[in-house]
Amino acid sequence: MINIFSQLMMEANKSLYGLTIDPQNASKGPVVLGNGDFFIEIPVAFGCAFSDLTLTGANGTALPTAAELIDKGIETGVGSRMCNAIKVASYYLEAGLISKPDMIITSNSCCDSMTTLGILMNGYKPWADVPKFTMDAPHSFDEESYLYFGHQLRNAVTFMETVTGRKMDWDRLREVCVESNKQRQLLLEFQELKKAVPCPTEPDLARQGTEYTTWTSDRVTPTVTAWLEQLVTATEQRVKEGKGIDGVNEKVRFLWQDLAGSWASGTVLARLQKELGAVCLMDYVSYATWTPIDLSSEETMFTSFGKRFLLEDAMNRQALHTADLFCNDILQIVKEFKCDAVIMPAHIGHRDTNSRMKIVRDLCREHGIPCLVLGMDIWDKRYMTPEVVFDRMKTFFEVSGLI
Amino acid sequence: MRSGLKSDIFEKFSALAGSISNSEVEGWKQQGGKVIGYTCSFVPEELFVAAGLMPFRIRATGSLSAGRADDYFEAANICSLVRHCFNKILTGEYEFIDGCVIGGGCDANRHILDNWEKSEARIPFLHRIFFPHSSGILMAQNFRNQLENLKQLLEEHFGLKITDDKLRDAIVLCNEIRDLQKAIYALRKVDNPPITASETIALVVAGYSMPKEAYKADLTQLLEELRGVTVPENKKTVRLMVVGPGHDEPTLCDIIETMGGTVVTDLTCYGGKTLFGSVREADPDPLQALADYQVIDRPLCPKNLDAHPIINREVMDKIKEYRVDGIIGQSYLCCETWGGELFVLQKELKEAGIPMLRIEREYTSDSLGQVQTRVQAFIETISGGLL
Repeated sequence: MINIFSQLMMEANKSLYGLTIDPQNASKGPVVLGNGDFFIEIPVAFGCAFSDLTLTGANGTALPTAAELIDKGIETGVGSRMCNAIKVASYYLEAGLISKPDMIITSNSCCDSMTTLGILMNGYKPWADVPKFTMDAPHSFDEESYLYFGHQLRNAVTFMETVTGRKMDWDRLREVCVESNKQRQLLLEFQELKKAVPCPTEPDLARQGTEYTTWTSDRVTPTVTAWLEQLVTATEQRVKEGKGIDGVNEKVRFLWQDLAGSWASGTVLARLQKELGAVCLMDYVSYATWTPIDLSSEETMFTSFGKRFLLEDAMNRQALHTADLFCNDILQIVKEFKCDAVIMPAHIGHRDTNSRMKIVRDLCREHGIPCLVLGMDIWDKRYMTPEVVFDRMKTFFEVSGLI
Repeated sequence: MRSGLKSDIFEKFSALAGSISNSEVEGWKQQGGKVIGYTCSFVPEELFVAAGLMPFRIRATGSLSAGRADDYFEAANICSLVRHCFNKILTGEYEFIDGCVIGGGCDANRHILDNWEKSEARIPFLHRIFFPHSSGILMAQNFRNQLENLKQLLEEHFGLKITDDKLRDAIVLCNEIRDLQKAIYALRKVDNPPITASETIALVVAGYSMPKEAYKADLTQLLEELRGVTVPENKKTVRLMVVGPGHDEPTLCDIIETMGGTVVTDLTCYGGKTLFGSVREADPDPLQALADYQVIDRPLCPKNLDAHPIINREVMDKIKEYRVDGIIGQSYLCCETWGGELFVLQKELKEAGIPMLRIEREYTSDSLGQVQTRVQAFIETISGGLL
């Protein structure tokens, strides 16, 4: 049965997974290519198309030809243990499948694999004449760091102005930030509603909402705001009615402390929900900690940008910083969302997460939270198949007495 | 491999490089000296020298297992150099250090601190600084601020004062050591170098393992000895350069030289990378001079997105200076940034007609059997089977 949530999910997915190779082809205006997150409000206000090559690679792993694309990425020789989203992006790049951008902006956020993609983009000979700008995302989250990174984002605006010969319309940037603040507030409201027991609707909508607002060609537009308003309204109604997810008898609520990746949602997580009543309340793209962009002055805006980028944007928060922040988030999520267990997918390409395993295990043991470490590849289901992941999680829930 | 050169200093350096704790450290500690460990070549030793501390670069020499560290770091997905180094920490081989500064160069390395702080091997002074990931005035200023903070923490913890004059003296001393090391490296430009690659590794690793003044004196004497050596004619060899992250032990170079190659120079984290240029000596702000050196002059870590053109230039210059026939690009499995860097470099070298062999390996030497076969094939290809 198609309900409002299914419709919303389809709309977001259409926009999100429409991004495969070279989304900028369909865009108008100068094209900025990044190796990861850029502060999206800036290119939107500037009237630039922004394309994140990591995301393009990640979306490639969701295609029916994913295995072939990953193998082609391996054949490029970029590093055998590299994250497969980056391998696919490398393949696209080396095969000449990405159009030449007008400028390239790279940073180290949020992991070493993405830095490597930045190295490849900056060293790609056919693009030797493309103007390039690099940024240093510090592994710290304090006012000084926000100012430091905000300063770099301001310099990025100057760079874009120099390359294009155009000027930033500061009023337009404020408008975009107002829209952005509105969207983030709606996502926070949805997050609050999601805490209800039973969970009122597909929790994965939070991930899709986040991705829809930041990663698609619709980003920071009234279209997305309207989508989020519908989501919040419909979820509020569900909570009032005390209803859970259609067709799910919720028994276990768990945290998936990594990206959902390209295949887990539709396979393992959907099956766990349906067959075992095990609901994935949160993953680390969905966890919203946003604060509004302070629009009082140009300086406060850019400092807010720095904060949002370093501390609040998905995966930057989890990957750039200390194990303590990572662990505090786990405890906070478990408490607020009444999670019964923590799943650590431990994606093979995430050096940061793979460096924190004992700390997380010890933390969970200390707090009596059942914890399972998988060691899977979130982009390549051949590494640990959906069936194996399902079986391991099922066994874990059984052994932990949760089902 | 040894050159056959008889030198007490070589013997001393080999002994220092072949173990973790050593007689120099023991002597220093017996005199009441403090030792500060560190990881990554961008952590400026000058700051420790100015503090009167003996810097000791963390390494994993002799490690056969990372068993205890593998509880902390997932073995299949984390660089073995980091795991083996941390294992040495956990097993108590670094008990002699009084503090440590982790250079957060890569995702795995920076987590040594998080894990160390939560382990039983925790020590009172643990700190981390980060190498900026791009180069510019803003980043050099940021790095300077980190150094200022580190300086204050060292002063507070160890109850000492690091004056600008002491810093300038330390900069001069470390520049002199770099110059001596460069002079010894330069001896390998000739057809038949008087020292082997293994001896060169021992020479630089020893420098991370003993007091700097004594090291300078030993290097000065060694250089004199080496200049006086008459080396017999040798058979023709393939002249190779090793590029990649740190390798503190000689096994790879021994394989190369056993197979008929001669490693004439390198650009690696324990070796050639650290010999680049000099720090400004008379700067009114010596911390800024150190920051500028690391961030603007010498950003040779591929974690820095502006590093590649400088790495490329350094490699190309060394190819000419040292008449290099081929490059061995070696990195550890899971070392992503060097993986990307070597990938780009290999394409550029190909265009320049310089052959490059790419090796991904584990830290321990028992993983090097396959490497031996590939190195042999590479050397034979370059030499046209004439060796």
